[in-house]
Amino acid sequence: MRKSSLNAIEATDLTKSFGKGFLAVKGITFGVEEGEVFGFLGPNGAGKTTTIRMIITLTKPTSGSISVLGVDAIRHPSQIRQMIGYVPQSVSVDGDLTACENLLIFAKLFHVERNIRKKRIDDALEYMDIAERKNDLVKHFSGGMMRRLEIAQSLVNRPKVLFLDEPSIGLDPNSKRQGWKYVKNLNKEFGVTIFITTHDMLEADELCDRIAIMNRGEIATMGSPSQLKSSVGGDMIIVKTVTPPTNIILPRELGSIVSTVDTEIKIQTALPAEHVVPRVMEYFSKAGATVDSISISRPNLEDVFTKYARGNLQEDETGLYNEARVARRSFQRHSG
Amino acid sequence: MVQDQVQSALTIAEMEARKIRHDSTELWSRSIQPALWLLIFGEVFSGIRANLAPAGFTYLQYIAPGILAQSVLFIAIFYGITVVWERDVGLLTKLMSTPSSRTSIIVGKALASGVRGILQAIVIFALALILGVAINLSPLNIFGVIAVTVLFAMCFSCLSMFIASILRTRERMMGIGQAITIPLFFASSAIYPISIMPTWLKAVALVNPLTYVVDALRAMLLPGYHANLFIDLTALIIATVLFVSIASISIKRLIE
Repeated sequence: MRKSSLNAIEATDLTKSFGKGFLAVKGITFGVEEGEVFGFLGPNGAGKTTTIRMIITLTKPTSGSISVLGVDAIRHPSQIRQMIGYVPQSVSVDGDLTACENLLIFAKLFHVERNIRKKRIDDALEYMDIAERKNDLVKHFSGGMMRRLEIAQSLVNRPKVLFLDEPSIGLDPNSKRQGWKYVKNLNKEFGVTIFITTHDMLEADELCDRIAIMNRGEIATMGSPSQLKSSVGGDMIIVKTVTPPTNIILPRELGSIVSTVDTEIKIQTALPAEHVVPRVMEYFSKAGATVDSISISRPNLEDVFTKYARGNLQEDETGLYNEARVARRSFQRHSG
Repeated sequence: MVQDQVQSALTIAEMEARKIRHDSTELWSRSIQPALWLLIFGEVFSGIRANLAPAGFTYLQYIAPGILAQSVLFIAIFYGITVVWERDVGLLTKLMSTPSSRTSIIVGKALASGVRGILQAIVIFALALILGVAINLSPLNIFGVIAVTVLFAMCFSCLSMFIASILRTRERMMGIGQAITIPLFFASSAIYPISIMPTWLKAVALVNPLTYVVDALRAMLLPGYHANLFIDLTALIIATVLFVSIASISIKRLIE
């Protein structure tokens, strides 16, 4: 859902350096429209989490400015925190409390008024489908349920912008998909602007209206998933003929032949491949070449990611968050 | 605004109380050590000919407040470990992303360790009664003991959170916790009077907050014990305010 009007998040020349001159975020500028699902992609250590933490006022930028719904995040941090919801990467619900208590505590910490507290909590639990387990201790929850509870917890203050930091890390495919459903609904039904970081391409493709790919502290590229995909080349049609073809000159509007190797012809097309395929078939049979098989290859976000975040997966472990990472590994979510 | 921040602090303490209600194992296991101090150390030292306690008091009477202070000290000084753990799993980050100020979070956490301290005090009260130690049980005195216990727990849990923000790992905190508690305990009047200490240790005892806490607790628990309650409380309040402030400033180091 997009209804561009005011920018929900506005970051200008945002920079963060840690200690000995290490630049985690190098002067990035971007805007997130209100009502949009905006994805931040990038390899580990690209600066995604640092960026989120600056926006939600957990850490101060070294330089640059941020505003959320028109409020300056550096000057009015608590006002920002009142308007947003945040689900961190690691587990943020207390296993030693019940689901209901977890929400109650946060409703109080967000200063939700006493008379509407109960309704807010019940609504959030209901919405995330965990109402029937609300009096159970959270440590007995599965990983997927914990994630849902974490989202429920971040809804008690009715946030206008919701930040999800790698929401499906450690979840099985089903719980992951289930999570996406809730996120989509929040965006569609209530118009909540959603800012999500991930390195799961499927997730980004599924959820995001727009994506920024971050690499080494910089935004390498930004656009809608389809724009990004077409930036690495359009659909590819691969035709195999029975005998090596001769004299194939494809009409321009269908696309151009990229390569011909033996009996295999690769055609790059600007149009959606499924519409081009029948006409390619027709053309080949007219030209007297018998087609053995045809396949379509589409560029996906993975290709986009590889293009813009190349050669970075190994070397950027800076050690800065290593302590937290180790801890995250040791605190296992229950799977299932 | 102030009201909101007070509510935040109380909410964080409430969180702790609710956790203890769901699982009180730690509470019981933590009362074993003070019980042993009273039952074994206290009983044995009651038997020696020279009474370490001031005239008119039994040795058990004398160390009961000391043991209370010691067990609260242990809870408070290791409180930083809990906070490091909460940082590790993500709870602290989540708390910090609410509109609650850093100070209200620190005060809340400090109060939470105070809650544990109160429960510890109740256990020691019970033990003292079982052992037949004569202590003051007037409501005013009990209230005073609880107030001092909470302040004391706040003071040292804030020191612990400050140290945690520097050391940042649970393992290092375990080590430093031991290294702090034992000297603090022995350089105080918890189990023997300052008057029998060598001169250098006396000097340490005089700047040791535990000395003032123990003194204040004795003044309230033991009928007729002479102490300078005003100096004790002033010293404790100053130390608490100081450590709360330091911890509020340094806590952000933990999540960066």
